[in-house]
This record gives sequence, structure tokens and C-alpha cells, in this order.
Amino acid sequence: MKSRLLLVFLAGLFSLQALAADPLVIYSGRSDKFVKPVVEAFEKETGIQVLLHAGGSTTLLNKLRLEGARTDADLYISNDAGNLQKGSEMGLFRPVPESIAGVIPANFRAPDNTWLGLSARARMLVANSEQSETDFVKSVFDLADPRLEGKLAITHSGNESYIAGVTVYMLAAGEEVTGDWLQGMKDNVDGSVFNKHSKIVNAVADGKKAIGLVNHYYIYRHLDQHPDAPLKVIIPDQGKDGMGVAWNVAGIAMSRHSQKVEAAEKFVAFAASEQGQKLFAEVNREYPTRPGVPAADEVPPLDSYKVADVPMARLGEMRNATLDLIEEVGMP
Amino acid sequence: MSATQTVTLPLFNTRLTLRGALSLLVVLLAAIPLVFVIYSSLQLDSEGWAGLWSSRLPGLLWNTLSLSVLVGVGSMVLGVSAAWWITRREFPGRRLAIWLMVLPLTIPTYVFAHIYTTLFDDDGWIGQAWQWLFGEAVAIPDLFNVVGVGFILTLAGFSYVFLLVQDSLSRSQQNLEEAARIQGARPAQVFWRVNLPLMRPAIAAGLALVVLHVLSDFGAVSMMRYQTFTLSIYLQMTGRFDYNAAAGLSLVLVSLSLTFLILERFFRNRQRYYGTAQAKRYTARRATRFEIVAIWFWLGLIALFAFVLPILWMLIWSWEAWMQDLISDRFWGYVGNSLLVSVLAASLTVVVALPVALYHARERSWLSQTYLHVSSVGFVLPGPVIALGILAFVLSQVDILYGSLAVLVIAMLIRFLPLAIQAQEAAAQQLTPSMEEAARSLGAGTFENLRRIILPMIRGGMISAWVLVFIDTLKELPATLILRPTGFDTLPVRIWIEASEEMLEHAAPAALMLVIGTLPVLWFLMRPVKQR
Repeated sequence: MKSRLLLVFLAGLFSLQALAADPLVIYSGRSDKFVKPVVEAFEKETGIQVLLHAGGSTTLLNKLRLEGARTDADLYISNDAGNLQKGSEMGLFRPVPESIAGVIPANFRAPDNTWLGLSARARMLVANSEQSETDFVKSVFDLADPRLEGKLAITHSGNESYIAGVTVYMLAAGEEVTGDWLQGMKDNVDGSVFNKHSKIVNAVADGKKAIGLVNHYYIYRHLDQHPDAPLKVIIPDQGKDGMGVAWNVAGIAMSRHSQKVEAAEKFVAFAASEQGQKLFAEVNREYPTRPGVPAADEVPPLDSYKVADVPMARLGEMRNATLDLIEEVGMP
Repeated sequence: MSATQTVTLPLFNTRLTLRGALSLLVVLLAAIPLVFVIYSSLQLDSEGWAGLWSSRLPGLLWNTLSLSVLVGVGSMVLGVSAAWWITRREFPGRRLAIWLMVLPLTIPTYVFAHIYTTLFDDDGWIGQAWQWLFGEAVAIPDLFNVVGVGFILTLAGFSYVFLLVQDSLSRSQQNLEEAARIQGARPAQVFWRVNLPLMRPAIAAGLALVVLHVLSDFGAVSMMRYQTFTLSIYLQMTGRFDYNAAAGLSLVLVSLSLTFLILERFFRNRQRYYGTAQAKRYTARRATRFEIVAIWFWLGLIALFAFVLPILWMLIWSWEAWMQDLISDRFWGYVGNSLLVSVLAASLTVVVALPVALYHARERSWLSQTYLHVSSVGFVLPGPVIALGILAFVLSQVDILYGSLAVLVIAMLIRFLPLAIQAQEAAAQQLTPSMEEAARSLGAGTFENLRRIILPMIRGGMISAWVLVFIDTLKELPATLILRPTGFDTLPVRIWIEASEEMLEHAAPAALMLVIGTLPVLWFLMRPVKQR
């Protein structure tokens, strides 16, 4: 009797997978909270069940790569264009038909449509509005100015957004300028960097630091909770000669080995639709990549500033070079 | 018994070959990740090795070793002092003190890192207290360095030393000390010449556990960006998709750890003591009033940092989450998943570890030593590397299992096998071989001997093994992240997801559930102490 029970139990374990309904599986490197609204709306509209498997973008990409044909994943979502392009280079994805991908501008998707950017974040500067010592800052490269010694707040160099930003600057201004810039910032922070973007905004709001380099939505997230915080947003590198603001996109790709291509395509199409775009970007105050879909009210409108002219796919291609440069300088 | 005898014996004795054969099977299973690492690092050409050697290894070696030494010393000071007072003095609240010294085990290192980086912030409790005490002039200590990481890992690990030393002290027998006193030894001499040598195996085993945890820690070092081997391997693997360089680094880490283990064994093996059932146990002396104050000051200080502050933080933020209705039904699903994996892994691991533990406790040969060391691999390799090794093995050999819970349980088994072996072997070592011999002379066969003599006598060791594996599985993060079935989230996975979104506070309920989920099994572990 006992052993029969045990057998039944073991069989149950092995078939745990098989018993479950057969949902569309998304490996998601983006927080559940930000993906859920889209998923729920999609389930409601199509009746297709979706299973979110959350994790780190890079960890999940590694998993996808190792699993090969055995993978459960039908779709992959990442917060970083670098990862998406990497996956594309490793042949993990299946191209999205042009009829679906076409609504997204070409510089926000892979050249071969193996991934689509869905929402964009901008690297912006946040300064304390009660301190005038940062008034001279017009470009991210000014952050290396010795006048900011001890006043600068940046994240550690393992942060995905940070790495992507450095890649953009490297492509726009060259390796040498970027290397010197990193060195200058390294001197300015003197080994003390932040492990969270949200803490940078806190520190600037409290006046502990004068200026910080962050993704735009962290500033607006803080202002949402503390409307009176003395914060000033500086949109860097504008004007005729400015390289523009560095962008990075979160995006989606279809797994090459998906058995549910049709359903997966439906999801991508939904995420790229006006409704899906709004849901995907708005909850995190990001910019929808599809033209004509407005961003959240409080963020600076897309047409009000200049964005660095770097195709997002380059973020993946240049990633190792960026890592090498960061390591060479020894950024903390 | 001379060395040559022990080597030749297994070949002729059937009783030994059964143990040996079972052990071999277990060891082969445990070696899967090692094979993966060796295989992958063979793909690394000499240029790749040279690159690793020149650019990173010296720094990584220094970082990893200095952290290990710091945490080892810290854990020894905290663990041994606490265990000594608690076993040697009778004072009010002694039971509570034992609990307080063990409870930190229930908090994962990444949660410690989380909480302490928050508490040491300008607006954190400790940051505020610091500024109130010292003013703005003295900067709040920065935790993002070897001392900070060492502080956190010591708090998270000293309980292992405490548990083992306390167990050994409470079982140590009064007659040896009395004999020394009668011979005219002063208390200090008794400590150095009788107590300390007796405690040495326990201290060594505890330190080994602590240092191995440090070497393979992923949670705290990744959260604090302190570059140890484990973190560097992880970054190499995930950031650059360079498995070969990661494997090369892993191989260096494994060699480092094995060297450490062999040294530890070497020092431990030089002495052996067997206890007898009749000897009088030590009875704790009633503490004087001054001693009570001193003891509680010291233990209270340890408990404050290692448990009270973290648990308060968790309680407060869990309450907030509860009030804001952030705890959904799915949360209880995560709790269930965590418990399921932990119970399965602990039960399986204890059974699987038994042959290796017994084999080594009885047969001191190069073979049993090798088994022991190979089976330690799970503990010294970083979790992500083990996960990848198992993933590669399962996909290529037993495809059918892939994606099932079984793979995750096997991974936990391989990771925490050494814990179970250590605990059971320590118990088996104190069992005199003469008892088994007596049983055999009375006609008891292998299994009867096992059932009626060995298992009852090492029950305590088995329970400790079960509890240790349960706790570590409950806290396990990196391998679970990679190997869990699709959509199967455990509490650590949720903590990690919430934390990586910079919503630290949302992680509090899950962290609190980890502590609560461990309480019943800890109670089980602590019960025998009370009954002694």
C-alpha cells in the first residue's frame, strides 16, 4: 500500500508538467508587475492562457540557449536590447512576420525582425534643484568634471542600463572619449557607487548628492510619491551638436523552437498593437516604441528632445567591447 | 590499524563492498557538475587560461581568501563563545539563548545583505542611530567592501559553528575534566588541554561548513558586488555567455576548496575519541549574577544583529504589505512549492548520504577519502554552475526528466549532499566499532546491524542532516532560478524578483515565511538537546 502510494506520488511529480493545461509560455526578464497588465488583457481578448516564467534577462537567455529544442518557452521578454540582440546572434529566435513587426520603427527592432522593442527608457540626469553647482552640466560627459567630485551619484557598472548607456556613448563619441569619461567619473565617485537607481534619486532629493545618472522613470516614480521633492530633470546632450539622449528598449522575441507559433505571433501582435503598447509602457512610465502611442503624461514627450542615433541592435553587438572598456578603467 | 590494512580490506569483505558500491553510485551522481566543469574547461585553450591567470585570478584569489578568513574567524569567535557559555552555565533564558543563536540560519544571505544595506542607509535604522550617536562628521560605515560582506556572512553563518560545538560540548564527559583537575590542572589549562582538543573536530566541521558557504555564496556577494570567484564565474557565464572561462574559474575554485577540505580532514583525523554510554555528562554550573549580565550582554548583542533587527524589519514591512493587500493567493502557492521541494530534497539527501558517511566513518582509506571529497563538489561549486552542469547532463542523457520537479530535487541533492554526509559521519564516528562487532558476533547481518544498531545510534546525526538540508534547500536561489519547472516559483525566487525590481519591501513577506517555515524543523532539531 505504502509503496503504491509512493509510486503514484512519484508519477505525479514527473507529470506535473504534463498535467497542467498547455499555456503559452513566456520567459520574462521583466518584472511580473509590468508584464501582467498586457498578459491579462491578451488572455481576455484571445482566450489563450499565458504562463509567465520570471527571472533575470540574462539568466533566462542562458537557459534558452542551453535548452535548445527542449525548451518550453514560446516567447522571451527582456528589459535590455543587448540581451535580445545577443539571443538573435545565437540563433535562438524566430523572425516575426513583417506584417506584425512593421509597426515598430526599424531602429527599435532587429534588422531581421528576430526581436521587437516594445518600450524605451531614456538615460537622464537628475539634479537637486536647490543646488546651483550643477548648472553647468549640459552633457553626460560633464559628469567627469572635477567640480563634481564627491557630488556625483551613479550605479555600479554591472547594471544593464548603465552598460547599455556606455555602449551608446561609445558609439556616438568614440572609445577614447568614453574611456576618459569613465575615468573622470570614477575619480568623482571615489569608489562609492549606488546599487540601486532608486537610491540615487533619493540621495539627490535629500541633497546628499548633487546630480545622478538614471533611467528617466525612476525620477518620475519618486516624484509620484514625493511631489514636492526638490528634483530637476536635465535632458542631456541636446542642441545642434549634442549626440542626444541614450535610449534602451525592452522587447520581445519568439523562441525558435516554439510549438505554438500562431499563438506566439498573436501575442507579439497584441503587444505591438496600440492597446498593448499603451499597457506595456505606461505602467512603468516608459515610451511606447510604436509611433503615435503617447507616453505617460508626466514624462517629457518624445518629440521634445533629441535621441542618440544608435540602432538598438548595436547594443548587443558592442556589449563585450563595452564590458572590456569598463573593466579596463576598473569602474566599481 | 595501519594504512595498508584499510586499503586491502574492502576487496575481501562483502559487508564493505556493499557500502562501497552504494557509495560509488552516490559519488558518481554527485560528480556530474564536476565532469561538466572539467569538460568545459578543456575547451579553454592555453591563451584563454593565460588571459584568466593574468587579469583576474590574483584579485579574485585575494578577495575570496580574505573574505573566507574574516568570516571563519568571526564565526569561530561568535559560535564558540556562545556555545561555551550556553553549555557551561545555567542561567535564566538559556533555552531562548539557544534558539536565538540558531535562528539566523533561517535567513538567507541575500536577505541579510538586502536588509543591512537598507539599515545602513542614511535613512535606515542603523544609519540614523549612527548619526545620532556620532553626528554628521563620522561617515556611516560603508558595507560594500570585504568587512561589510564579511560582517553579513558571519551573521549568516556562525550558527553552524555554534550548533556543532554546542552539541559536542553538551556531550563531552565530565570525567576527563575531573581527571585533569585531580592532576592539578588550572581551569585555563583544562580548557586548552582537555576541552579545546575535544572541541576541535566540531570547530573544524563548523568552520568547514562556514567557509564552504562563503566560497559558494552567490546571494550576498552579488547583491553587494563583492568580486569573489562565485560572482565572477556567474558574470562571466551570464554576462558574456562564456561558459568555458566560467568553467576554468570554477575549476580553480574547486581546487581551492578541496585543498581546504583536505587540510581540514588532515587536522581532524589525527585524533579520535570514542564516547561510552555510561560516562557522566557534564552538568552546567549555576551562573553568578555578574556572569548572567555578561552572558546576556554578549549573547544579546549577537542576537540583536543576527536575528532581532532583520526579523523586525521583515515584520514591519510584511505588515505594510498585508495592509496594502499586496499578499495574493499566489503567495501561498510559493510557500507550498518551497516546502515541497525542501521536504523532498532533505528526505532523499539523508538516505543517499548514508552509505558514503558510513563508508567513510568505518573505512579510512584513500578511496573513502576520495569519495568524501568528490561528493563535496556540490557544496563548493557555485549554484549556477551546478545548475548548468545538471541541465546539460539531463538534456543529453535523461531528456524525459527535463522540466520536472525531479531535476530540481536532484540538483538540491547534489548541492547539499555534503551537509548530510558531514552530519551523519560525525555521528557515526562516535559510535565505537566494537558495538557493531559485538552485534555481528551475535549473528546480526548487514541490514539488521544497520537497523538495530547503527540507525538508532546515529539518529541524532540523521535528524541534524535532514534539518540542515531542509533549511539550505528552502533558502536556495541560484540553482532554483535555472532549474525550476516552468512557472514554478519558490519563496527565494520571489524575493529575488521583487528585489531586482528595486521594491525591497515587497520581498519582506516571503523572507518572513522562510523563517516561519523553518521553525517547526528547528524545533525538531533542538528537542533532543532539551531531553538530554
